[in-house]
Amino acid sequence: MAGISRRKFLIATGWVAGGATVLYTLRNKAISVAPTVIFPDAESGAAWLQIRPDGVCRMFFARMDMGQNANTGLAQIVAEELNLNVQDIEGVTPSTSDVTPIAVTAGSMSLTAFSRPTAIAAATLRESMRARAAIKLGIPGSDILDDAGGFQTTDGRKLKYADLVDQTNLMVEFDDSKPAPNLYTFDATRDKKQVGHDVTPLDIRALVTGGAVYTADVPMQNLLFGRAIQPPVRNARIGKLDTTGVSDTKGFVKLVQQDEFVGVVCKTPSAVDAAMAKISVTWDLQQPINQQEIDRLVDVDAEMALGDLEHILLDEAHRKDVDWAIDLRFDVQTQTHAAQEPRAAIARFNDVDNEGETDHALEIWTGTQDPFGIKRFASMDTGLSENDVVVHPQRLGGGFGGREHYEVERDAVRLARAVKQTVKVQWTRQDEFTASRSRPASAHRVRIATDDAGNLSDWWYGYITGHVVFARERLPDWLLPVARLAEDMGVVKGALSPYSVPHQRVEYKDVDLPIDLGVWRSLNGAPAIFAIESAMDELAQQKNIDPVEFKIAQMDGGQPRLQNCLQLVAALSAKRSLPKGAGYGRGFACGIYDKRCYVAVSADIHIDHETQKINVLHMSCVQDVGMAVNPGQLRAQIESNLAWSVGMALLESFEVGDNTIQSANFDNYSIARMADMPSLDIEIVDQPNIPPAGAGEVALVAGPPAIANAIRAASGFRALSLPISFKDVV
Amino acid sequence: MKLNINGVERQVATDWQDETLLTVLRDHLGLPGTRFSCGIGQCGACLVHVEGSPVSSCLMSVKQAADKNILTIEGLAADDGTLHPLQQAWIDENVPQCGYCQSGQIMQALALLETTPDPDDADIDQAMNGNLCRCGTYDRIRKSIKKAAIVMREAN
Ligand code: FES
Ligand code: FES
Repeated sequence: MAGISRRKFLIATGWVAGGATVLYTLRNKAISVAPTVIFPDAESGAAWLQIRPDGVCRMFFARMDMGQNANTGLAQIVAEELNLNVQDIEGVTPSTSDVTPIAVTAGSMSLTAFSRPTAIAAATLRESMRARAAIKLGIPGSDILDDAGGFQTTDGRKLKYADLVDQTNLMVEFDDSKPAPNLYTFDATRDKKQVGHDVTPLDIRALVTGGAVYTADVPMQNLLFGRAIQPPVRNARIGKLDTTGVSDTKGFVKLVQQDEFVGVVCKTPSAVDAAMAKISVTWDLQQPINQQEIDRLVDVDAEMALGDLEHILLDEAHRKDVDWAIDLRFDVQTQTHAAQEPRAAIARFNDVDNEGETDHALEIWTGTQDPFGIKRFASMDTGLSENDVVVHPQRLGGGFGGREHYEVERDAVRLARAVKQTVKVQWTRQDEFTASRSRPASAHRVRIATDDAGNLSDWWYGYITGHVVFARERLPDWLLPVARLAEDMGVVKGALSPYSVPHQRVEYKDVDLPIDLGVWRSLNGAPAIFAIESAMDELAQQKNIDPVEFKIAQMDGGQPRLQNCLQLVAALSAKRSLPKGAGYGRGFACGIYDKRCYVAVSADIHIDHETQKINVLHMSCVQDVGMAVNPGQLRAQIESNLAWSVGMALLESFEVGDNTIQSANFDNYSIARMADMPSLDIEIVDQPNIPPAGAGEVALVAGPPAIANAIRAASGFRALSLPISFKDVV
Repeated sequence: MKLNINGVERQVATDWQDETLLTVLRDHLGLPGTRFSCGIGQCGACLVHVEGSPVSSCLMSVKQAADKNILTIEGLAADDGTLHPLQQAWIDENVPQCGYCQSGQIMQALALLETTPDPDDADIDQAMNGNLCRCGTYDRIRKSIKKAAIVMREAN
C-alpha cells in the first residue's frame, strides 16, 4: 500500500461512492514475521463502516468466518451504536486488495481486539450524523435525540440516516488523540437492544440450504483439478519417486515436478485420485516417526532427573526435598484438528496488463485464517510482486488453529502456473491428517505438598511438550534458534495454577518432535490444566475433602471470578442428581485461559460394564469471559469445547508408526459423535463492565479434567494418560 | 447418461461418467451443497437420498445412480423458497457453526423422520451417529430434529 494515501485507497476500492464512511484506527499491537499480526493502525485504517446514500449500513467483516461468528458480534456492536437492527447491516468479506493487512484470525482475539475500535467507529459515525442533522435543522445537536435508524427532535420530527447522506463523499475520521464519543456498547447502565442478545448469524440460510459458501464451491469457468503429494513431515525429502503409468490415466493433463513438489492436474476429480494412486514415494526422514521416539523426547522424568528444565517460568522459594503428598506424572496425547472441510484452494493466473489497467496476475480463492499471510507467501513462491496477488478469503469449514499456512494454496498455485489454466485443489482426508500440524504430545510431572493445616505449601510442576508457536517451519530457519530463546506463548498457556502456594516452581522444556506441530485449540492450555486439575482433585480425594471447596479454599481469596464460576457450576450440577449405583461419578475442574477467561465444568459419567464403555452423561459449564455480546454464540462455543473435551478425554489419539502417520481418516481417528454427547447445562456470567474476551477455546481447558475426575469419583481410577479407555479403568 | 435430481432431469457428459455421484453433483452439475469430507463413507457430509434412501454419494459411482431419483439439500426447500421444517428448525435452534457438515446432517435427519416420525433420543443417537460434526453442534441437532418432527407430524 506504500505510496497510496488512505483516502485514495478508499476511493480506489470503491468504498467511497457517496454516503458517509468512517475509518477506524487502532494503535499497532505487535509486528511479527509470520503469521500476520498487524492489527489495524492509524496509517492503514483497515476496516470501514459506511452509511450508503440509500441509508443502508455496510461494514467490512474483518474476521475470517469459521464458525465462531465473530463478525455477527461486531455487527451487533455497530447496530447498538447506530440504533439499528443487526439484520439491517450488510456485511462484506473483503479481498486482500480491498483492505490493507489485518491480523490473522486466531487465538480467540476477534472480539478483544476489534470490539472497541468497532464501537468507536460506529459511535463516531453516529455523532457526525447527529452534527449534520443539527446543521440541517438549524437546532443544537443536544436537541437531536436518538431514534431507530436515525434521530428525532425534541418536538417529534424524525430524520433517518438516509436523509442525512447524499451522493457526495463524506469521510469521517476518528482522531484517537481526542476522547472517544460515548460508547453505548460499553455503557453498563444502558438498556441494550442489540448487544447482549442472541443473534442468529447473518448468513445462516445458505448454510441450511446448501448454498455455495466454501472454497471448493466457488463457480469457475474452464476449471481443472489437481493435487500434490503430502510428505508425512515437512522436512522429509523424496528418496525414491516412481511415476510410472501416471500419464496413462484417463483424463490426465500434466505431471508437475519441482524439487520436493510432485503433483498432477487432470480433467476431473476422480482422474486426480487415479493418477495420484499411481505415484509412489519413499521419504528420507531426519528422525524416525514412531510413538517410542515421541515418548522418549517428552520424557519429563528423565529430563528432570538431570537438573533444571530449560525454561523456569516461576521460581518462588522453591524447595526440592519435601514430603510430596502428590507426585504424579500425566501424559497427554497428540491430537489433530480434523476440521470437517478438507482444505481447498483455487488458483488462476490472469493476463497482467489490460490497457494500462492492471489486472491482478494471480488470484487465489481459499479458506484461511490469514489471507495476508497467503498473499505474502504466494508472492515469494511465484516471484510476483505482492500487488499482483489477490486472495479472496472464503468461509472455513472449521479452523481451530490449523489453517494459517501457505499449503493447499501452494499446490493450486504451482499446478495452475504449470498448466496455464485455473486449477482447484481439494485435499483428501488423508492429506489433511498427513499434513497435520498437530497439538504436540506432552508429559507433566506435578508435585504438591501441604502444611499441617492441610493447605498447599509446595508446588513443583515440570513439563515437556513439543513446540507450538515456535514449531519448526512456522518460522524461517534463521529465526528459529533466536525465537526459541524466548517463551513460546503457546507452550506456556495454562502452566500457572490459580492456587496460592508459598513455595513454587514451574519449569518446562519444549522440543522438536518427529511430526509437524502447530497451533491447536487452546494450545498448551488443555494439557497443562488437565494435569493441574487432576492433581488437585487427587489431593482432595486423598484428604477426603470436597474438591470444589478445597480448590476454592486454596485460591486463598484470589481469583474471585474463577471462584464464582466454580461455585456456580457446583450449584448448577446439583440440580441434577447423579444416578445411584456402581460406576457413576461426578467430577469438577476449573481453569483460566489467557489470563482473562474463566471457566468451571462438571461432568457426570457412567462406567458401563455391559457395553464396556465410559459414557459422559451430562456436563455443566459456567463461563465468564467478560461482556456477553452474543450470549447464544458464547453458548455455541462452549458446546463445541465440551464436545472436544469428550474427544480429548476419551476418544482422540493421533497415531504414528512405521515412519508414517497412521491416522489417515475418521475410521482410525475418533472424534465425538452424536451418541458420545452428554446433555448440557450452560450458564454465562455476563460482566457488562469488562470488555469481551474470546470464548473459542476456553471450556476445553476444564472439560477433560472434569471427566477424568468423574472417573476417579466413580471408580477410584486416576487417569494418568489420555485418552482414557474402559480397559484402563477396570 | 441421465440423472433425475430434485425433480429435474440432468445429463452427465461423457468425461464425467467414471466419476462418483458426489463429484458429478458438485463439480459437473453445479450443486455444491452436498459436501466432501472423508471420501470413505465415514462422515455423512455427502449424504443424499437416492430413490428415497440415504446414500453416501462419495461411495456411489454415478453409473449406479443413472436414471435414479436423487434428492439433494438444494431440493429440500419448496419452489417458492419456503424452507423445509428441518431447515427452519436448524435456523430456529441456530445449529450451524462452521456449517460444513450440516447439509448431510439435515439429509440424514430427513431419512430418520421419514421412517420414525416421533424419534426418541436413542433413535436419534442411532440414526445420526454416522454424521460427524467437528464443531460439536450435536445438542442443537437433537433439539432441531425433535422440533421439526412435531411440525411435520402436525402437517400430516
Ligand atoms: S464424504 Fe462421503 S461419507 Fe464422508
Ligand atoms: S458445523 Fe462445523 S462441522 Fe458441523
